[in-house]
Amino acid sequence: MHIQELILRLQRFWADRGCLIGQPYDLEKGAGTMNPLTFFGALGSKPWNVAYVEPSRRPADGRYGENPFRVYKHLQFQVILKPSPAKVQDLYIESLEALGIDLSKHDLRFEEDNWESPSLGAWGVGWQVVLDGMEISQFTYFQQVGGLDCRPVSAELTYGIERICMFLGGYDNIFDLIHGNVTTDDGVFPVTYGQMRQREEFELSAYSFEHANLDLHRQLFDAYEAEGWHLVKDLGHFLSAYEQALKMSHTFNVLDARGAVSTTERPGIIKRVRDLACACARAYLAHAEGASVPADAAGKGGAK
Amino acid sequence: MSATKTFLLELHCEEIPARFLGPLHISFAGLFSLKFGVTKFEGLYYSPRKLAWVFPNLPVLQPDQTETQVGPPQRMCVDADGKPTLQGLKFAEKWGVDFSAVRFEQPAGKKEPCAVVTLTKPGRPTVELLAEALPGLIAGLHVPKAMRWGSSEFEFVRPIRNLLCLFGEQVVPLTVDGVTATNTTWGHRLFHRQHPDPVQIASPEAYEGALEAAGVVVSVEARRKRIAEQLESLAAEAGGRVVADAELLDTLAEIVEFPKVVRGDFPADFLRLPKEVLVTSLREHQKSFCIEKPDGTDLLPCFLTAANREDDPEGFVKAGNEWVLKARLYDARFFFAEDRKHPLSDRLEKLKALTFQRELGSYHEKTGRVVALTKMLATRLSKDDAHIERALEAARMAKCDLRTLMVGEFPELQGVMGGEYLRHERAHEEVWKAVKEHYRPAGADDAIPSTPMGCLLSLCDKLDTVVGCFAVGLIPSGSKDPLALRRAGQGIVRILWEQAWPMTLADLVETALKVVAPKATKPEAETREALLAFFKDRVAYQLELAKYAGSVRRSTMAVGWLDLLDLKVRCENLSLFSEDPRFASLGQSAKRIGNILKDETPVNDFKADLLVEPAEINLVKHLGRVESQHDLIVTLNHLAELADPLEAFFSAVMVKCDDPALRATRLSLLHRLRQAFLRVADFSLWQ
Repeated sequence: MHIQELILRLQRFWADRGCLIGQPYDLEKGAGTMNPLTFFGALGSKPWNVAYVEPSRRPADGRYGENPFRVYKHLQFQVILKPSPAKVQDLYIESLEALGIDLSKHDLRFEEDNWESPSLGAWGVGWQVVLDGMEISQFTYFQQVGGLDCRPVSAELTYGIERICMFLGGYDNIFDLIHGNVTTDDGVFPVTYGQMRQREEFELSAYSFEHANLDLHRQLFDAYEAEGWHLVKDLGHFLSAYEQALKMSHTFNVLDARGAVSTTERPGIIKRVRDLACACARAYLAHAEGASVPADAAGKGGAK
Repeated sequence: MSATKTFLLELHCEEIPARFLGPLHISFAGLFSLKFGVTKFEGLYYSPRKLAWVFPNLPVLQPDQTETQVGPPQRMCVDADGKPTLQGLKFAEKWGVDFSAVRFEQPAGKKEPCAVVTLTKPGRPTVELLAEALPGLIAGLHVPKAMRWGSSEFEFVRPIRNLLCLFGEQVVPLTVDGVTATNTTWGHRLFHRQHPDPVQIASPEAYEGALEAAGVVVSVEARRKRIAEQLESLAAEAGGRVVADAELLDTLAEIVEFPKVVRGDFPADFLRLPKEVLVTSLREHQKSFCIEKPDGTDLLPCFLTAANREDDPEGFVKAGNEWVLKARLYDARFFFAEDRKHPLSDRLEKLKALTFQRELGSYHEKTGRVVALTKMLATRLSKDDAHIERALEAARMAKCDLRTLMVGEFPELQGVMGGEYLRHERAHEEVWKAVKEHYRPAGADDAIPSTPMGCLLSLCDKLDTVVGCFAVGLIPSGSKDPLALRRAGQGIVRILWEQAWPMTLADLVETALKVVAPKATKPEAETREALLAFFKDRVAYQLELAKYAGSVRRSTMAVGWLDLLDLKVRCENLSLFSEDPRFASLGQSAKRIGNILKDETPVNDFKADLLVEPAEINLVKHLGRVESQHDLIVTLNHLAELADPLEAFFSAVMVKCDDPALRATRLSLLHRLRQAFLRVADFSLWQ
């Protein structure tokens, strides 16, 4: 199946089941969870169903476009269902069937895999979904986001788009995947993932492993942090402040890929991102629900 | 016998993590037994989506309850003629009995006889009690990582989606977090693709069979057995045998509801990877077993794993697992090739950037300390300079593999990879084997390294870890031992115990304290004291593992445990007597001696010619034989022969007699006896 076909089918499926179809957020981020549609959507009491594609950047996973399985940037398809429906597993299974996977012939398992994002102050419990031995999705019941308990609880489904396409088509190289066909007066031209992205993988890997200016990134990290705190603390602007937290997170990832962050430094840096993200979460909740959220209502803290 | 019925409860959940299934099953069974007084349940019924218990022989009715009600004094309830008064009649009426049922007794705390009735409440139906108690028992289950779901505040390990609860054929009326109990449940997901309705369970007895028909083997033991059988036959078919892994077998049994073992193949050129890499990669990434040749040497290019269904009609399961595994093995081969582009020793410098522990510094610094320790201890064990130099080489290389790609991917291959890379570099066999095995023993079930050099390296590494951590205040307490120092300490004791090296624990602690001194943040005396207490516990546990009787363990340790060689000899020999009644008697006597000498300052005031009683003269004769003996086993025989004379002594002789000189002599005699005992053990702790 072509990548674009897979995306279209997932969007159709979830739209038909009462989800808004969202769009990727136009800032670099490591996972679909960081999109405000999820980060803020999972907070508060209002019902919220949304599905969207999110390109996710993991600078340390970059392989210059040479590794058939690992890439700097991959596509996640993200679904948030709040509150988590009683039949959420069945819904997920139906979505696989909508992709043409006949489950009567495959082995599907939900194996424990608990998710945690220390830089978002978020964690949940759930599974990796394994199809014939291959991990194709993450399935999480959010327990906390932005350091706040989720009430009600959202279910988050994350599909690894390239992986599923490779698996379904039996591809041994991600760059051989077909994104889709370009049809012109002269004929039909299939376009591969490699044509679309291999050069990008090379340049972005080279950038994050070799060329990124470390001093600049350290300065940027500090500057985004200061800007973010000014926005959320002085003005109560949680959306623009949250963007600063996202930029901090990505800047940290670049520094980390360059090996510029020591193991002892790491928790402190992650905490600086988390503190800002958590402040944004509290400000959002105060705005959206009119609730004042004292610091001590910030859940039971940490993974239980 | 009153009537009984069988009770069945099944919590049908979304997939429960395998590691919680067993503990949750046991913990509920315990709570239930405590409440309902039945301890026997049938089968370990749990699967990824089910936790179920079947308790046979619960009484249908609870036992009758009696209670006693006390009323007014007798004199107010009956008049002079013995007829009931108005007050007496009212009391009977209040409790709904005829006045003839009223007795007169003097209850505790009353000054005169009072009216008393005994009421019998018929026992309640057990089903009512179940309905009342179960929601609390279920909610009260301790879940290590609990979650909430949907809009509810209820917490459990995973969402509960169905509740099956039967007492005999009757549904126990019960609701947990909005889910109401019925006599139905759900089978395997694949089964319900053709059968949309839930599965009816007529009675607890029909439970296991009905689920099997719906595609779920609910007993984990049955699933484990089926997997083991299939593994064996498929491995034989492939011309080999399964590389045994009990933990992996348990895991597979816990993550499938209907097990089907599937065999897959991988390209044979991956067999050039070290065996450990293949076994680890298959286990960690794909929960798969390797197959080795019947002689246990090489692996075959195939693997076995369990699918959660009864067949693989189109070969998708096989093909999918092969596809993923190939990707993983490509990765492993890439790591193996990349790592060998540079000699392992190149990583030594890179260890500077890898923190071992904040206060104790990098792995580079740790390596320096381990080398220093190895040097000090190796020179005591060997006079061969070349051999000592090889031991130091092994110590220098031991941690280098932490900076290799392979160990980055598979941390559990630490040590193994270092050894393998050194072997490929044609290092001396002693060196690569020592590095390869220096993390052993990994636990009580694991062997110590197979070579003396491996043992020495393992000992020095662990000694540095334990002493170093103690020196910066990281001391295990209660259940908190994040750095697994107890396991490391146990490893040190095991190695000394099995190698029988002439080194005392006190000596090792001193040596290591000196080496780690520049990093220490705590006063040395404090650290030393904590370390000795720590090692004493480890030694005590080692004696338990060696299965010595409690009497032997307590009494031998009490007179010294730092020298394991000496302790082991005493334990071995004393064990020959652990059932000997004469030693039990000796124990009693030793206790008496201890009591008598408790308030006495020991004096050497023994004058044999003062003794008068035949029993004491006889005792002195026997004691002399013990004191003049140096062979341990002969000493123990003499000690055994001391038991009767000692008993005779205590029944005939008054130690603290009035004559001060005689008394002093007798006390000195007891003191000598005690000294003779303590050469071997403190027998007062025998019992």
